[in-house]
Amino acid sequence: MGERRLTNSIRTMRFMASEMTQAELGERIGVTRQTIAAIEAGKYSPTLEAAFRIAEVFGKPLEEVFQWGYVDVA
Amino acid sequence: MVAREQFAWVWLLTLVATYAVYFTAVVLTGETTFWTQIIMFAATAIVQVVIIAVASAMIALRRRNELSGDERDLAIEQRATAVAYNILVTGIVLVGCVLPFTQSGWKLFNAAVFAIALAEIVRHGLIIVMYRKGLKESKASRGWHG
Repeated sequence: MGERRLTNSIRTMRFMASEMTQAELGERIGVTRQTIAAIEAGKYSPTLEAAFRIAEVFGKPLEEVFQWGYVDVA
Repeated sequence: MVAREQFAWVWLLTLVATYAVYFTAVVLTGETTFWTQIIMFAATAIVQVVIIAVASAMIALRRRNELSGDERDLAIEQRATAVAYNILVTGIVLVGCVLPFTQSGWKLFNAAVFAIALAEIVRHGLIIVMYRKGLKESKASRGWHG
């Protein structure tokens, strides 16, 4: 069993939302494109408020966008 | 690269380069006159101010919309500043409470400058590392917003 981490499905959600860009998503929740990229890559965990805003943009419940589980680490 | 990471690179490179020259000069010149020390320190400070002001103005002009920063910028800055603060306090305690028993004059002054420089270099170095690598999550870590 690996390490417990916050993971997310933002890349998939963006794809399903007509290939929404990171910049567009960032603009809609009030962060930069680079912050969205960092969240997607697991290099930054957003605040609860930003997480809810992201889920709201995709019209999904929070737990569908963000997951807290075990991931394999090298 | 976000504007704030660019600012951190400018600060880091400028501080490392100028303080390397300053402290090398301090060590090589040994005991010097009051005015020699003042001139060396003033020259270092002026070079730092000029480089950082010009580079920062250039970044600010090109990346105007990123200057206010977002929650990630704030989280990174807070974590880096917290670590640097501990280094600064340790350094200042050494300079103010320990070194006066064995050293005096410019050695105390330069020790204080070294503590401040080290804290600033660590702060900007950590900012760059956190932008590039993120934060290593562990059981001991308080997380990004802890």
